[in-house]
Formats: sequence, C-alpha cells, structure tokens
Amino acid sequence: MQWFLPAWRDGFYRARVISIKQINANTLNITLSTEDKWPVHQAGQHLALTVDVHGKLTTRVFTIASGARRHSTDNEIRLVLRVKENGALTPYLRSLKTNQWINISAPKGSFQLPTDKPVLMVAGGSGITPFIAMLEDYLALQDTTASPLPDIHLLHYAKQDEHLLLDELSKIASAVSNFSFRILTRERDGDVSQHLPLFKSYQWMVCGPQSLYESVSQYATSHHITVESEHFAALSPIISNSASKQTLSLHHDNTVLNVNNQQTLLEQLQQANIPVNFGCGMGICHQCQCVKKQGVVRDVRTGELSDNAEELIQLCVSQAVTNLELQS
Amino acid sequence: MKKTMNTALSSTPNYDKLAVQLDAIKSDTRAKVGSDDAQYIRRIILMQRVCEWSGRILLMLGFLQPLLWVLGVLSLATAKILDNMEIGHNVMHGQYDWMNDKHINSKAYEWDIACDGSSWNRVHNYEHHTYTNIIGKDRDFGYGLLRLSSDFRWRIKNLWQFVTYMLLSVLFQWGVAYHEMAAERVFFGKKKENRKNAITHKELKQRFFSKGARQLIKDYVLFPALAGPLFLWVLTGNALANLLRNLWTSTIIFCGHFTGDVETFKEEECKDETRGQWYYRQALGSSNISGGNVFHVLTGHLSFQIEHHLFPDIPARRYREMAPKVKAIFEEHGMHYNTGSFIKQYSSVLKRILRYSLP
Repeated sequence: MQWFLPAWRDGFYRARVISIKQINANTLNITLSTEDKWPVHQAGQHLALTVDVHGKLTTRVFTIASGARRHSTDNEIRLVLRVKENGALTPYLRSLKTNQWINISAPKGSFQLPTDKPVLMVAGGSGITPFIAMLEDYLALQDTTASPLPDIHLLHYAKQDEHLLLDELSKIASAVSNFSFRILTRERDGDVSQHLPLFKSYQWMVCGPQSLYESVSQYATSHHITVESEHFAALSPIISNSASKQTLSLHHDNTVLNVNNQQTLLEQLQQANIPVNFGCGMGICHQCQCVKKQGVVRDVRTGELSDNAEELIQLCVSQAVTNLELQS
Repeated sequence: MKKTMNTALSSTPNYDKLAVQLDAIKSDTRAKVGSDDAQYIRRIILMQRVCEWSGRILLMLGFLQPLLWVLGVLSLATAKILDNMEIGHNVMHGQYDWMNDKHINSKAYEWDIACDGSSWNRVHNYEHHTYTNIIGKDRDFGYGLLRLSSDFRWRIKNLWQFVTYMLLSVLFQWGVAYHEMAAERVFFGKKKENRKNAITHKELKQRFFSKGARQLIKDYVLFPALAGPLFLWVLTGNALANLLRNLWTSTIIFCGHFTGDVETFKEEECKDETRGQWYYRQALGSSNISGGNVFHVLTGHLSFQIEHHLFPDIPARRYREMAPKVKAIFEEHGMHYNTGSFIKQYSSVLKRILRYSLP
C-alpha cells in the first residue's frame, strides 16, 4: 500500500513537505501540503506531527503557524518550531526532504481569536506561532469585511535577538492600522505584569512558557480578567528531580488516582484494587501492557525515560515521572 | 540452585557476573535496533503477503498444470510459516513495540493460526518464558501430553507417547489453540482449586471457538468456495499447507526445548531467583539449531532459542550477532551452549521422547 501512497497509515492524515527553511540557528519553518480529506484547522489550533525516526514512529505536538485562509487557497499549512538538540524528533526534522510524505493528526484545540472584542496577545518565544496564524486570518478578513476590525495589541517576549517572524508582524502592522505590537525582553523590559495595566478592557490571550503564563494569570485573577491560554505545560511535560518522592495523578481508563514516583505502576494499581492483567512482574511477558496516551514513565530496569507521546508500556517495569493517562 | 540432570557443568557460575555480562549484550544490541529492523519486519510482512496471495491463486490454477498447484501449496505453507514464526511469534513478543506502529505490535497483531493471540500471549509469553522448564509451572514442558523427564511419574499412556507426539505434530495448531483450555480444565478433568484466572472460562471458550471457526471457514469453506468447480483442489491444498506448517513449527519448537541435554528445574529451586539465576535457567532450558539464512528466517529465528529465551523482546534477527558473544560468555562460566545441526538436534528430541516413554 505504501508503494502507492507513501506514509499511508491507518488513523493518520498525510502531508507532503513543500519546503524547510532554517529561520535562525535553532528554528525551522516547515511548509506542508495536506491531503484533501484533512479537516481544515482554525487559526490557533495545533496538530500532532508523526515522523519515522530510525524506524520508530515519533510524535510531537506543534501549533500551526498559518491561517485557515491560506489553507483554503493553496492547501498549505506551516509549522514554525524550535529544534531541541537532544529531542527525539525535532533534530531529525532538519533532514526532512522536499516532497517527502509524513503523518499529521486532525487539528485540535480551542485557542481561537474572538472577533468581537479588542484583544491583547502575550507571546513568549515560539509561543508566537498561534498568534501569527490568527493574525494571518485577521489580515485576510480586512479585505472581506466592511466593518472595522477589532483592536489587537501583541506583547512579544523572547530572549534578545531571538524574536521570531518580525518581518511578518511588521507587514501586518503596516497593513492593518488596528494592529500594533511591541518587542520585549525580560532583561530590558522587566516582567510582563508591568505592561498589562493598559489593557484591562481587552480580552487576554497567552501562549508561552509556564512562567509567562503564571505572571499573566496572577495579575488577571487579582483584577478579575479572564485569560485564554495555550501554555506549554499542556504540550510538553515538566520533568522534575527524580530522587524525591512525589505524588502524581494517573488517569486509568475511567478512574483517577494518585500515584508516586517510587513504586511501579502495577504495584500501585493493584494496591488501589484496580483490576489489571499481569504476569511475570519483570518486563518479559507483556501481560500488563497498556497504552500510555500521555505522560512520561521511567523504565525501572534501565532508568530510561519514555517519550511523552502515545505508546505501549509495561506497568510492571514503569514508574510515573509525570502525570499520566493510561488505557488498558 | 541445584541441577536436576547431569551435564558437563563443572561448577556453578557466578550468577551476578553472568547477569551483568548478558545485560550488557542486551543494552548494546538494543542501542543498535532502528530503521534496519523496522524495514526488515515490513519487508518480511510484504513477502508473507506475496507468498500467501500467490499461493492462493496458484492453487486455483491447478487445473492448467498440477505443478502450479504444488507450487501453490508450498507458497501458502511458506506464507503461514512466515506469519506464525518470524512475524506472529516475534511481534507478539513485543520485539517491535518500540516502532509505535499501530499494527505491528504485541497488542494488535493476530496471526493466521487456530490459536487466539491473547491466549497464546498468556501461556507462552507469561508462563513459558517466565517459568521456563520449571516442572509444574511451565505447562509447555511436554504440553501435559508427553513425559520428557524423570520429574514426571511414568504412566501407561507414556508407552505410546511417540504416536501421541506424531499426532500432536500433525495437529499442532489445534494443540496450541487448546493448550490453555486443557491446562485450565475448561472441558474435562478435575478443576484445580485456588487458581488465579486472568480470564473466565466462558470467555476462553468463546475465543477458542470464534478464532478456530474463523480459521476453519477461511481455509476450508471460503477460499475453496471462491474456486467454484475447483473446490476440492483448493480445500486439499489448504489442508496440505496447514499440515506442512504444523509439522515445521512443531519440529522446530521441539528442537528448541526438548533435546537430550535440556535441563529441568524444580519449583522450590527457583524461589527468590536472582536475575543471573533466571538467565542461567533460560540458558540451560533451551537449545539452538545451526543453519543458513533462509532456515533461520523460516524458524522465526527460533533456531536461536537460547538467545530468544535470554532476550525475548529484542528483534529476532539480532540474535545472529548476539549468539557468538553469548556463547563466549557461556564458555567463560563453564556453561553448556547447546547447539548442533538440525539432524543432530532433532534425533536427540526423538530419542528423548522414546527414552521417557519407558519408566
């Protein structure tokens, strides 16, 4: 089957690589052409990208950094992503070839631009990606609607000289008078909370690292402002020091329980009287195997940490490292 | 741990050192596993599909030239052997789970054999691989039908166990399918008390019949019917292909565990076993067969039974490169590395079956 449709895989959509550009030392801009049956995304949504890395299908979630409008004209979407040198997937994305087929999931997420209110966008680092998608559609909207567009102001935080997509932002700002943005760094401009008071009447949206989100949401709660957010904690797990005992939460089918990071998952499920299949208890027989939908586990035999994506694990040799979602 | 049979072993090995050395081979090999292995298993699956479909088509062309029919039988038998051994057995061991492929993994794969995959997973992956050759725990040792060591009391029925063995070989897929139900006394015999069951008898029966029926309908109703007037040609061809597969798989498997030198262990010896002792038991409970490339593929690399038992979830094609290292370690510890030609190992199996048919 894959002879005729490369990368054809049950349960995945296909996409063809149109181009790969290196924006700066560690950021890639990947343009993909999606197959026709792919359900079109809304600006702000993300997808799971699956690529065969040394024989292993490896999946990571990325925000789509292009608007729905662009997709409707040329069937293309764009990803802008940071390469993590020790990552399981991103370093390999550099070696993708033009016209190569890869797999994507349907778009997910409900981070979307409201069109009836002025909006404050707060972006941290590569957290600019959903906003650039929204702004692309916002720009296109200008040609089709007669009424003036709502105000949008963007606070774009990043490390010195690492702000992404500045040329595109300037282009949008010069085309739409209601859009403005500021380039900020923590060292020069201080914490984000100093810049928030001007925008109390706006709808707030945040996308970026956990610390940025926390600053904004703290300020927002104390001033009774609602915040839409897409923060990275949901996408990439926080792995903390393994030595100390921690309590984590485990979704197992329909039950939720607390587990620690010291005992194996099998022991703890059994102690909680949750019926699970099991066998040898030493990782040979695969009787206790189940699907890990999300989260990181440690293999007690080798100490190796797993991927965060969906994969099969054996409960008897796995300890929780992050919160987990399992399906038996 | 004490040995229960005589071997050339002079002293007990240093178990901890053994475990460290074998673990090192395992992690070295695991680090190498990658796109070659993924490509390999996909290629074998493709080969299996080609064999299966060309076999089924050739069987229908038998009326043009009977030789085509013979080719069809051989081709279909090869497909079934590849499916059961190199693909089914190995994939269901979880050797390819790391690929994250939705179909090539131990949870999803279902093979072309009468035995329900999950039943086999329980008896084979769990009981047989964990408690290998522990009398009373590994029900694969003699399958409850044959007496293959003096650990079992001699009974009259053992006198004709050679015939039983031949029948088992011929009907091997049904033997494998029925194995768990026999052991659980689902239909006959005294139910054992206090057994922890992973699955109810009802479900066991239902799965046995549904999988068995599906296989019977496929090979003896559906495909023959598709051939129309050639119904009997195809039916006979399918039966022969199944027979060839049964004989081949049973022979290879017997060579892996029931050659003359293979040892057995007592339950009490294996209490609180260390990892090194577990490795040691796996090593002495298995035997290899030497042979060429095609031979190894057709056995699903069970010709490397020793390596398979030491490292059941490493992709089987890697056993070839692991074998010399394993052998060197065995020699260092004065352990017997049981290997030999097919003729030598198989005649040793037959001798063992005959030997223990007498008290």
